[in-house]
Amino acid sequence: MSKDLEKFGLSNEELFSFVSHSDVESEKITAPRYSYWHSVFRVFFRNKLNIVILSVLVLLVAFAYIYPTVVHYNPFANLMDPAAKHLSPSRAIEYFGASIHSILGTGAAGEPTFDAIWNGARISISLAFICAAINITIGVIVGSIWGFSKKVDVVMMEVYNILGNIPYILFISVMVMLFTASFWTIVLALTITGWLAIAYFIRTQVVIIRDREYNLASRCLGTSTIKIAMKNILPFMTSIIVTLLATEIPSYISYEVFLSYIGMGLSDMSLGRLIFAAESAMVTPGWEFEFWSPVAIASIITIVLYVVGQNLGDASDPRTHM
Amino acid sequence: MGKYLIKRLLHGLLSIIVVVALVMVMIYSMLDRNLVFASDSVYQHQGSNSKVTYMYSKWEEYGYLDYVTYADYINELARSGEIDDQTREQAVMLGRTPKDDSEQTSEYVQRFVQHYESQGYTVRRLNAVVRAGGRLADGGQQALFAHRDLPLFQRLWKYFTGLFQVDSIHYVPEEQDIGARGLTFTLFDPAYGGTVFSPAIIGNGTQHKYLLYFDSQFPFLHQNILTIQLGTSYSVNTGIDVFDTMTLSQGSYMQSTITYPSGHTELSADDLHTATYVYGSRASSPLLADRFHDDYTNVSTIRSGMSKLGYSFVIGVISVIMAYVLGLPIGILMARKKDKLIDKLGTVYIIFIIAVPSLAYIFLFKAIGGSLFGLPTTFNMESSNKLMYVLPIVSLALPSMANLMKWMRRYMIDQSNSDYVKFARSGGLSEGEIFTRHIMKNAAIPIVHGIPSSVLFSLTGAIITERVYVVPGAGNLLTEAINRYDNGVIIGVTLFYAVLSVVAIILGDVLIATVDPRISFSTKDR
Repeated sequence: MSKDLEKFGLSNEELFSFVSHSDVESEKITAPRYSYWHSVFRVFFRNKLNIVILSVLVLLVAFAYIYPTVVHYNPFANLMDPAAKHLSPSRAIEYFGASIHSILGTGAAGEPTFDAIWNGARISISLAFICAAINITIGVIVGSIWGFSKKVDVVMMEVYNILGNIPYILFISVMVMLFTASFWTIVLALTITGWLAIAYFIRTQVVIIRDREYNLASRCLGTSTIKIAMKNILPFMTSIIVTLLATEIPSYISYEVFLSYIGMGLSDMSLGRLIFAAESAMVTPGWEFEFWSPVAIASIITIVLYVVGQNLGDASDPRTHM
Repeated sequence: MGKYLIKRLLHGLLSIIVVVALVMVMIYSMLDRNLVFASDSVYQHQGSNSKVTYMYSKWEEYGYLDYVTYADYINELARSGEIDDQTREQAVMLGRTPKDDSEQTSEYVQRFVQHYESQGYTVRRLNAVVRAGGRLADGGQQALFAHRDLPLFQRLWKYFTGLFQVDSIHYVPEEQDIGARGLTFTLFDPAYGGTVFSPAIIGNGTQHKYLLYFDSQFPFLHQNILTIQLGTSYSVNTGIDVFDTMTLSQGSYMQSTITYPSGHTELSADDLHTATYVYGSRASSPLLADRFHDDYTNVSTIRSGMSKLGYSFVIGVISVIMAYVLGLPIGILMARKKDKLIDKLGTVYIIFIIAVPSLAYIFLFKAIGGSLFGLPTTFNMESSNKLMYVLPIVSLALPSMANLMKWMRRYMIDQSNSDYVKFARSGGLSEGEIFTRHIMKNAAIPIVHGIPSSVLFSLTGAIITERVYVVPGAGNLLTEAINRYDNGVIIGVTLFYAVLSVVAIILGDVLIATVDPRISFSTKDR
């Protein structure tokens, strides 16, 4: 025992000793620096699977946007050539020669399926991103006001109960009939009441956190409502909003496919329109590719978007930053 | 509780009325009316003036406006006895232009214009279109008419007051002689020959002949006293009410030997119990005169299939049951074996269902079910093969199962971190006991809330599933009505959906209040 103490330069009588004071040392902060977004990405990229899926997503989106601008795609180029229609990949390669256009065969108008699906993917992805951006922005703003103010709550609940009971496809068909079935009409149709469900969801979340003890304490100390909203509640909502985005963006692609299928969708050849147009090809032997390729691409895009969004949502929850 | 429920119900009723009003505004004033004629071949063959009058008469049929022609007005005056037949014949003859009108005509034209303009109508007069040589051009007949868009409140009032119709013995106009009006009660239903014991109430003077009767079909006791009229269809199922479109059976005729009231026996599919009154039908049709001894001759037929609602409901309810029976245990298992293989497999499945467009996986199920299992992929009403129900049911059940799995797992995991579970664990209860006795009860409450709505909404049918498998269900009614501009059907179906959703939410609240004693809706208990 005494030997040990000598080793540390301490006398037997005095177990405590003075440590010399250093100004430089005392300036150093002991806790590691915490940056929220830095931690989010650190947690996100810690999982190798996320890197793979994210790169697949980036590749898909980049391809969908770059490919149609590089390759000139005219769906009616082979319209007059009956031999070019409904070709399976092997027959298409035989007929057109081996090129990237013919690896998925051709469709009903003799258009290369490969070109058609990327052109469609670009439209569908744009639609999904624009609709999600508009709906989430309006939904989050309205939802937080709705959750905070009890007066607004009474009015908005009525609005929600009424508008929620009007069939959604009725809104869309009225929009489509009022204007034409163009890209921006569908955006308008999907956003005109689409934000309401998001706002309601955010409202419920705000109501849950609004009256927590730390907010009560904050209010007692005289913090303004805006500051409570911005500093106390918004950080809490970040992961919820990111998770919401993860479900919203793919849902617009699915919804667009659904609308096109019931004949109320876009007039452009989006993925949904392609699936709708090729429905009969599903059961025709040799034509399957023109049906299953847009279905597969739509599914891959939505799954990848969803998984990336979910994992980003998990990573943006500060409780996972340990 | 009761007071609270009545308040909720009234509140729901109010929002239903607002919903119907909004939809009426949308379809009657925002949409382009000319779209009605987009695929109307009759319209395309009309020329000049007759095209205009055709348009207005169609718009009246579709419910857009009130349309009165000059001839209708004059005939109405003649019927009410204000003018005699001779005046009528002279007054109804319009000149090619207002200048050509005879003195008598121009007097009545003036009265027509005054009468309708004071009521807010717009009066239009179309001069005859004359070709060279003085002959009328094709469809160039002169015309005079008044039209007025129905104001919203009048439209709403008309709709909601006409919603329920109670049959009475004064239905048949008093001037039509049909013998002694009244209700008779019989123990031996004449539709079965009058010898079999089967109580029925038969009316004379009512719209329906049989007001209450028994037959062999579910629910065995049927009534015709109260009928619901959601709105008459114009193009989807011409002249038939939406409610009937949804509830009448479909498919091929079920023929059996029928003894008509006159004693005539024949192999027929007529359902004598549905007889309604049609004035003068026996006089105009010897066929009916042979079979019936009164003017209750309009009967519907017995068909082999179910109704649109029936098919949707059978498929929907079985799939709901399947989803709950499979989804809940799997969700519980996933929560218990969190981060184990079964949880991961389940999560992959949930992601697949949420992310992939529903159309894509329904086609996938169809392709897999058709080629791997050899199940029928299209629905056929005439076939008695029960296997054709399998794929639609599975296609509906699998997605809702994923949803239930997701929430059940979520609620179970949330509950398992709460204090009472830690307390139970510290008290020495086994994990199995904690899960079944404590966590499950609490986690099931939000799930229970959704049961009434999933059962009720299976009535509306599923758009994509029914389309893909060609099920003759109710799911496509709304889209079909929208595509064909059938305003009556659109409003009827919207009202139906709104009622279902209001009732479903209230039932859900009642159900959780009965399941969970902590939840109470009456202010007194709180």
